[in-house]
Parts: sequence; C-alpha cells; structure tokens
Amino acid sequence: MPDLKPLHLTPRTAPALRSVLDDPALLTQLINGLGSPLNIVLPDLLEANVEAFRESYRRHRLRGRIYFAHKANRSAALLRRLAATEAGADVASLAELQHALGAGFTPDRIMATGPKNREFLWLAARTGVIVNADSPGELTDLADLVAAHGLPRVRVMVRLSGFASQGVQVISRRSRFGVPSRALAEVLDLLEKHREELELVGVAYHLDTIGWPEKAVALEGCLAALEECQARGLPVRSVDIGGGFGVNYLADGAEWERYTSELAQAVLGKREPMTWNGHGYGLRNDAGTLRGVLGLYPAHRPVSGAGYLDQLLGADAPGLRRPLGSLLLDTMYDLDIEPGRALLDQCGLVLTRVLEVRGELVRLDCNARDVSLEEHGVLMDPVLISRESRSDDPAGVYLLGNLCLEADLITRRKVFLPRRPEPGDLLAFVNTAGYFMDFSATQALLQPIGRKVAVYRDGGVWRWCLDEQYWPVHPRAEES
Amino acid sequence: MRFDDMTEAIGNTPLVRIDPAVHGLRNIDLYAKMELLNPFGSLKDRAALAMLRPLLPGATERGDTVVELSSGNTAKALAMLAGMHGLPFKSVTNRMKVPEVKDLLLLLGAEIEELPGQAECLDPTDTEDPLTRMHQALAANGSGYVHTDQYFNENNVEAHLSGTGPEIVKDLDGRAPDYFIACVGTAGSSTGVARALRQHDPDVRVIGLVARKSDFIPGIRTIDEVHEVGLFDPGVYDTVETIGTDEAIDGMLTLIRRCGTPAGPTGGGAYQGAVRHLRELDASLTERRTAVFIVCDRMESYLSYLRERRPELFGRPARNNDHRALSDAEVRDAPTIGVEEARDWPGLVVDLRSPYAYQAKHIAGSINIVDEIFDELLHGGLPFSRTQQVLLVCPVGEKSARYAALLHRMGHPSVRSLAGGIIAWRDAGAELVRA
Ligand SMILES: Cc1ncc(COP(=O)(O)O)c(C=O)c1O
Ligand SMILES: Cc1ncc(COP(=O)(O)O)c(C=O)c1O
Repeated sequence: MPDLKPLHLTPRTAPALRSVLDDPALLTQLINGLGSPLNIVLPDLLEANVEAFRESYRRHRLRGRIYFAHKANRSAALLRRLAATEAGADVASLAELQHALGAGFTPDRIMATGPKNREFLWLAARTGVIVNADSPGELTDLADLVAAHGLPRVRVMVRLSGFASQGVQVISRRSRFGVPSRALAEVLDLLEKHREELELVGVAYHLDTIGWPEKAVALEGCLAALEECQARGLPVRSVDIGGGFGVNYLADGAEWERYTSELAQAVLGKREPMTWNGHGYGLRNDAGTLRGVLGLYPAHRPVSGAGYLDQLLGADAPGLRRPLGSLLLDTMYDLDIEPGRALLDQCGLVLTRVLEVRGELVRLDCNARDVSLEEHGVLMDPVLISRESRSDDPAGVYLLGNLCLEADLITRRKVFLPRRPEPGDLLAFVNTAGYFMDFSATQALLQPIGRKVAVYRDGGVWRWCLDEQYWPVHPRAEES
Repeated sequence: MRFDDMTEAIGNTPLVRIDPAVHGLRNIDLYAKMELLNPFGSLKDRAALAMLRPLLPGATERGDTVVELSSGNTAKALAMLAGMHGLPFKSVTNRMKVPEVKDLLLLLGAEIEELPGQAECLDPTDTEDPLTRMHQALAANGSGYVHTDQYFNENNVEAHLSGTGPEIVKDLDGRAPDYFIACVGTAGSSTGVARALRQHDPDVRVIGLVARKSDFIPGIRTIDEVHEVGLFDPGVYDTVETIGTDEAIDGMLTLIRRCGTPAGPTGGGAYQGAVRHLRELDASLTERRTAVFIVCDRMESYLSYLRERRPELFGRPARNNDHRALSDAEVRDAPTIGVEEARDWPGLVVDLRSPYAYQAKHIAGSINIVDEIFDELLHGGLPFSRTQQVLLVCPVGEKSARYAALLHRMGHPSVRSLAGGIIAWRDAGAELVRA
C-alpha cells in the first residue's frame, strides 16, 4: 500500500539551536551582509557535549583525556571555545597543529594523529605534543629528527590495527592506517632502540565503523598490547580508542523507519520514486528482489555520542568476558578518546538562500560541497525560514546547487518542506558542524566558500562575530 | 524405527491439535506442525539436507568448506550435516545476536565470521559492501567453498513442497487446511508448504508473518528485510502481517506452559499471529474450519534473549549477604585506611580486580579473588575467620568499601578497605609487583 503522506525527516534540534532559528531578523541580516552560504557555529554548546562524555567517564570511574578531532570542522571559534574547557585537541596535519597551539591548547593537551610529514613531526616534537604514530617508519623519522635537532624526548603512542579475535571471527574492514597488531613486537624493538628519543606512553586504535563488537575486539587487543609493553618494562599508561561515537540526527525514529521502508518500496517500483532519477542509495531492484545495501548513515541513532561510549565500556571483552570498562579500571590505564562528530553535535548550521523555484526544483545559492549531507549519507530535512508567514500545503522539492553540474544536487531525494519555498526564502541545514560544513567545500567555478560566523548569547540576545574574531571572552553587552 | 543415519529422522513430524480451551476459537480447529521435533532442532533441517545433498559429491571430493549466511538454525543443521561427511562448515553473518547460538555453533565445530559494521565516515559511492564482496569470493571457481545460498536456493522451497506440505495434507486425512500461518525467514518453508497445499485446494488462505520493523525475532525477517530475500514472492501470501517481540514471547509462553510444546520465539509468534488473525473470522463462521501453523524450533537457545526482554520470568529469590541491600550510611561508614597505613598492614590483602590486571601489577603479598567470585563466596557466609585481619583492594576504593561494609555487617571485626584503591596506591608511588 503506497504511503502518500509527506515523508519528513525532522532534525533533532537543541533549544539553543532552535532559538537561533527563531530569530529570522538576525539570520536575514547575517546572510544579507555576508552572503550565501553562511556557516554559523555555536561555540557555547560545546561545553555540555564535553561534559556528557566526562559524565560517562565518571560513571565508569575512569580517567583520561577527551581530544576533539579537529578535522571535523575548521572553525577557529569552536577550537578556541574548546581550549577554554578541559578538552584536548586531536590534530591530523601541520596546519591543524598550528591552529590548536594558536587557539590556546598547551602541548600537553594535544595529540597528533594520522600519517605525518617531517614538518608536522618536527613541530610536534619541538612543542612536545604526544605523537600518535601511524607506522614504524614514522617512529624512525621522528627519532632521527629528535636526535638530529637535539630535541627533548617525545611522548609517543602507537596506533594498532588488524586485531585478531578468538572464537567468533569478528571481521573489520581493512584499514590503511596503523601497525598490524601482530607486528607489535618489532615496533617495541624499535622503541627500545630509540629509548633516548621516544617515550612510549600507550597504544591506540581508531576504527571507521559503527559496530561496537569490532571495537570491543580492538580494545581488548590494545589491553593485551599494553600488557606486552609492561612485560618488557615499558611503563605505558593509556589507551586511545579514537573517535566514531556517532550522532543522532533525527527527532523521530518512526519517521526514519517509515522513510527507509518507503524507499525500499520505491526502489521495487511499488510506489512513485522518492529520489532524483530513481536513485536507490545503494539499493537496487533485481527482478523484484531488493539487492544491495542501504548506503546511508543511520540518521536516527538513539545510542550515540557518550551513550555509545557507555555501551562499549559496558560490553564484555570477548576473550576475558568482563566488561571493558572494569578491565580498564582494574588495569589502571587512562582512557583517551578522539570524538569529532559527536563533540560537535548541535554546534552549527549552514544557512542558504533560495534563488529560484521551478515546479519541484529549488535552486539554492550554495552547492553540494557546502552542505555535504548527501556525500556523507545523512538524510535530514532543512528548516525553511520565510520572510512573512504564509500558510500553504507541504511541498516535495529537490534542492539543487549553484554549479553547472548535473551532479550538483544538495539532496538527491525529494525533501518535504512545510510549504513551497519562494526566491529569497532561507533554508537552514542544522546540525551540520561535524563534517558537513567545510570539510569538502571547494571554490569550483570560483563560487565563494561560505563565510563563518560564531553566535553566542549575551545579555539575553544572540550576538555574532566573524569566526576568526571570536575568543572565549565575549565582548560585554555594554560595548555594543 | 531403525535408521542408518540421523538424516533419516528428518521430517515426518507430528501435527498436533491445540486445545480449544487454550486458544478460545469456537469454529476453527487449530493444529501445530511440530517442526521442533526434527533431529537438529528445527524446520531448517529439511532445507539444509535438500540444499546440501546435491553439492555433497563434489564437495567431499574436493574437500570444500560448506558456507552459508545464517543466523542460527540453518547453520546448526548444516554444521551437523557437513560434520557427518567430514567437511568443515563456516557461517558468515551480521545477524547473529543470540549468544547461546554462537556457543552452540562453536560446539558443533563451526567457524563463525561476523561481518563488519557500517562505516562511521560513510562513503556512499562505495558499492562494495562486505556481503557483495563475500558473494564474489564464493562464486569464484576453485574457491574451496560450496555455498548453499538459502535465500535463493530453490531446493529450500522444494524440501517443504515435497515434505512438510504433503505431510500436513496426509495428517488432515487428505484435505488441505483452510488457513496456513507461517513465519517468514528465507520464505522457503512458507512458500513450499503453500504450494503443496494449493495443489490440493487453491483456496487455502496463506498468512505470512514477519517481525515489526523495530523488533528483532531471531530466525525471521522484518517487514523491510523480507524484500531482500530472493525466494520471497508476495504473490504466495494472501496477507503479510507483522508480529512484535512481545507477542512472540506471549505465544511462546502459552505453547510452553499450556500446550506441552517447548517452542522458540517464532513458534510463539506463529501461534499468536494465527490466533490474532483467526479470532476475527471465527465470530462470523457458520461451519467448521481448520488452520495450521508451524512451530519452527525449540526454546533452549533463547534464554538470554528472554532474560533481556522478560527478566521477571527468571526472578530469583533475594540472596543472603547481598551488598545491594546495604544502606548509603553503612557504605559511607565502611572501615577504611589510607595508603600510608596500608603499607604496614599486618594481615591479609585481598585484591578484588580481574586476574588479568592482578597478573600485571599488584601489591606484594596480596591474593587475588575477583569481585564476582568474592560476591558469590559472601552469599555463603564469611570466607575467612574473624581473627584474620583483611584489607580489601579494588581500583578506586568503591567496591572494596561496599564489601568491607558488608563483611562488617556480617560480623567481621577487623576488615578494612583501601581508600582510593590501588590507583591511589600507585599515585602515591607505592610499590607494585608483577606476578
Ligand atoms: C584517528 C581519528 N580519530 C578520530 C576521528 C574522529 O572520528 P569521529 O568524528 O567519527 O568521532 C577520526 C576520523 O576520521 C580519525 O581518523
Ligand atoms: C526459528 C526460525 N523460525 C522460522 C524460520 C523461517 O523459516 P524459512 O526460512 O523457511 O522462512 C527460521 C529460518 O531460519 C527460523 O530459524
């Protein structure tokens, strides 16, 4: 039975984010002054997100650092605001390291991850941040740099991958990163050789997966690796479990279920198409049978962020059959984490202007790289902001970008808005601070990359400044 | 009954009438096809045998591994059949959510591979999902595998078309029932039985049951997932209805507690779905009708599934000396000592952490009794004499304080907890040794 009611995917919005949307005068002024698209970040929401993770640590009686994975957003304001909390920064490039140092993170609060070049290694060693090594070659390079330049001993971690499971074989996708865990002994030989230059403080993993069973295998593997380090007299003290805690994007699980059910029906040809050219998001119709796999982020994720960390820590280690959190506590290791997306939950939105409306086609003054929801497989409706309140029927529309490229679709699916938009209306893509705002933005066709502003509450109203003007000491209300 | 091997015991299961006093239908005789009595425990024994039999000569000659995507019953049956022919069996799955089934399969000698979860940083252009890749690997010639492919294999249907279905007709004295109700996993059993019954009477009404989208009922598909099944043909069913976990468990309890039938969740779901569907019709009927549903497998593999969803079924009486019965004040007043005093502790030191952690680092001279076991010991009474001085040690001094309070309540005069635990000990620079 085809379901013809509009298929909404209502975003989850925190009260603070809501209240920005409820201020159309501010939003209109901003976009008129600074252009479309406009990236808006809300630095003051970060504190609660850090605290949610810390609360999970407390529940499990664990210590350790929460490093923000900077790659999720380039904003200076967000980084500076985080520097004012207890969080650390996970930096994955030379420029990110410079940015973090400049934002106020002292080196003891910075972890350098990912594959690194010599310049990145030098600045990391010179300033004394922890280097989370991706390969044995990187450790050798680092040791050589330290020796050649007479630098102080550097604290390092080793990122491991390819963990073996016993009994049930838990398979993980092959990763480009890290040292295979079975090659640990050789890495430890290397570290013993470079004792003068490198001080091993722990081991790490980061798995690009939603599945916690894989992470349980990896975490138990790290505990075994730490034990091997201890046995060789290397005084390790922490395990870094990377990022990937996820975000719950949608307000209503029932909408998500209904949407995905209907999508399957549409792919099977049992209802009118819901997508541009019948795109199936990975599903296809194979002689009446649904084949393929839904290539979408599970946008409704009740267990995410700090809740996901809780779930992992509460899960039994597959081999030792005791909760991973208890094992960490028993063995007295610190737990370090590198959440990116999850720490930015609710911390920003992308604002765009409607340029043209032609039937069900709505062209926006931005492109698909400026709001990369589709690229990341996250389906979530934008919020329509009209100048005057018109009442009208819901309208299903496709949102197109401003590049002269057939593929420049901001949504490949039909999006249902509460009414048909008109040129000049604004659309806000909320909760986009983590990866969907500036991660992929390009200057193709010399279209501008969106400016970024920080908004913050002061004297009972929202105030704003350019992202690079923001410091966590707000200008007082009387100055403005 | 004398057989040459266990496969001969597959099939010919009884059709048992459900007591009307239990189901309450006045005009419909309701029968259960007792597939749980198959030797390996489920209706999948039939499909497994039918699918594997034609592959066996080649597989045994080459020494291939039998492989299947299965969440449980098919894997169990295939593992046993493969074992009878000296072949290894491997189950690849991302759906095996019931721990007992995993352990059972390992006991049967099966190898289990769990597919990875979705990527957190999604790349929607990556069409090579793990499942597709696995299919490609299996299809390659000389891969060393034979794949029974239950979701697409016609022999899965055939097993029921020539077995289960005709048996039902025979037991109803040559007549097909008016209604047939079955849960849908691979759709093999429902499709095969429906075809057989309709050969006798094209008017048989077939009701397929699937799980509600957000519910998990082990062995069957949800309303969405069913479309991914190659054997699934919506035309087979007069209606496809959904059942929830709660209904399945309610039905299971009725079958177990009232009908002498130790059914699993899908048997319960089929019963409950059948009664729900038939109750409406029953009122308006003027002549007698018959209905048949399938009890697919047995209850024993689902204990943890039930414990999670209906903990009250397993309610155990309160035990003696339970630390959860302590008041906050008792815990706050637990006798503790600091690290300095603990360094000169003259008595026994009990480390409550996991053996794994104890091996790596502990206070010299301490003994290790992990908290779970210590807890168990205390239910039985004091595990050391009242004259023995005891210092309890845990990671941060919380658990040890609880147990010190409990021992105190049990009448032990000289038990102490190390304040701040072994982490405080380490942070004070006190010595720790390896085992
Ligand atoms: C090493 C490492 N740490 C942390 C992260 C952050 O992941 P997320 O934003 O999913 O928490 C990433 C993401 O790619 C990563 O590669
Ligand atoms: C417990 C249980 N019930 C029902 C079914 C459904 O049977 P079929 O696969 O023939 O649809 C299965 C199949 O795996 C099962 O394991």
